[in-house]
Amino acid sequence: MERDTGSVTGQGVGRVRRRVHHPRRRAGLQRHHLVEHLGISLRRIAIGAGLGIALGVLFGLLMGTVGWLRSLFEPWITFLRTLPPLAYFSLLIIWLGINEEPKVTLLAVAAFPPVAVSTTTAVAAVPKSLIEAARALGASRWDVVRDVVVPSALPETLTGVRLAVGVAYSSLVAAELVNGLPGIGGMVKDAANYNNTPVVLVGIIAIGVSGLIIDGLLLRLERAVVPWRGRA
Amino acid sequence: MPSSELTGTREEVDFARAGSVRLDHVTHRYGQGGEVFTAVGPVDLTVPSGEFLVLVGASGCGKSTLLRLIAGFERPTDGSVRVSGAEPRPGRTAGVVFQTPRLFPWRTVRGNIDLALRYAGVDRARWPERRAELLARVGLEGTEKRRVWEISGGQQQRVAIARALAAENPLLLLDEPFAALDALTRERLQEDVRRVTDRTGRTAVFVTHSAEEAVFLGSRIVVLTRSPGTVALDLPITLPRGDIDAEELRVSREFAELRAQVSHAVKAAAAA
Repeated sequence: MERDTGSVTGQGVGRVRRRVHHPRRRAGLQRHHLVEHLGISLRRIAIGAGLGIALGVLFGLLMGTVGWLRSLFEPWITFLRTLPPLAYFSLLIIWLGINEEPKVTLLAVAAFPPVAVSTTTAVAAVPKSLIEAARALGASRWDVVRDVVVPSALPETLTGVRLAVGVAYSSLVAAELVNGLPGIGGMVKDAANYNNTPVVLVGIIAIGVSGLIIDGLLLRLERAVVPWRGRA
Repeated sequence: MPSSELTGTREEVDFARAGSVRLDHVTHRYGQGGEVFTAVGPVDLTVPSGEFLVLVGASGCGKSTLLRLIAGFERPTDGSVRVSGAEPRPGRTAGVVFQTPRLFPWRTVRGNIDLALRYAGVDRARWPERRAELLARVGLEGTEKRRVWEISGGQQQRVAIARALAAENPLLLLDEPFAALDALTRERLQEDVRRVTDRTGRTAVFVTHSAEEAVFLGSRIVVLTRSPGTVALDLPITLPRGDIDAEELRVSREFAELRAQVSHAVKAAAAA
């Protein structure tokens, strides 16, 4: 985080040399290779979207099982879902500063609603017949949640996770608007400030391709974890 | 009232009564306010321990509701239901086989059985032995690792039966379990169910709309009238049980006569 402070966007290449601790400080764009930009951004997405997804699953489970919790939270989640990340980014800057915290928080806030909504729907739609079957075998309430509700909601939850990662990805540039370097979103924004079209294009392609790869991995995960999808 | 059920009164732990069912003036209504629908009742019925009772009636006569009341999934609007002398509790008083297998698709055949064993409180060390025994009882040896969508509908229903037997409840409830199966599979499963209950001396309540199935399986047949269901005919069946030739039984004259009698009663009750 502190290594970012010397490179607030828009200050140009001239200030690059101030940076002392970087071993290869003249190499790469804005002192960092594309891979580094991408790596930092992916790390932010992993932490931010990971937090959002974890919270989304938790809320989804609660809202799907407890009716009044759903009535209480659903309007707020819908409200949050319709907001463009840019709208609340300034608030996050004011509240959380300009380091990693607002970026990670923004990604978490963006990733949270799709997972919460899909998990809620999936939990509420768990076949009553299967719950009854488990109860007929002597399952306790907790057994039903663990052995029927969670596995039954898993396919749709995983779809929500894929959506969430997509939303987090599309919020990346917004998250890295302020003090986003190194970071692929920051790189694009910085390059745009200098009308550097090739770098912008490279950034866009890097974001798109890495997103495609991650979605592919999630899809494989989904097939491995929920092989029964569409069969029962 | 789990504690009183655990300690039990003398009456409740009396083994001779284990699995017995007693319905006292049971009525069940669905809905509220102006849209009340009486599904069943009033019904008075006593099923002694070890009996194989078949409830027959046209569709919508409330026979499934009656079964759900005995299983403890619902409480009767009026009257009382007693299983082994106590109030029925799902998963504690009876094993249930539903119309469809209702297996858990995220688990293999083995996983489905294991879950039932866990809920039944069977010691984990005894699972392999018990699992093999249950699968053998329904003729499913060697299918443990299969996914539930990889086996046929008949095999799925067998798994469901094995699962319902896992807790060794003295009462087995079956709600038209073979309705969706082809004739050949149905007959085989009927024979299996008849054998399993005969051998273990379990009480069974079996719901069907088929007179043939009723006569083949039951040691007693109760025909229900059209909704709200009440008892129209209560018929003891004296066909031989135990190790018998099922084919021979099915083509016997006695069987044909009983089937005609029950079929007649069902039609009469549905028209009444």
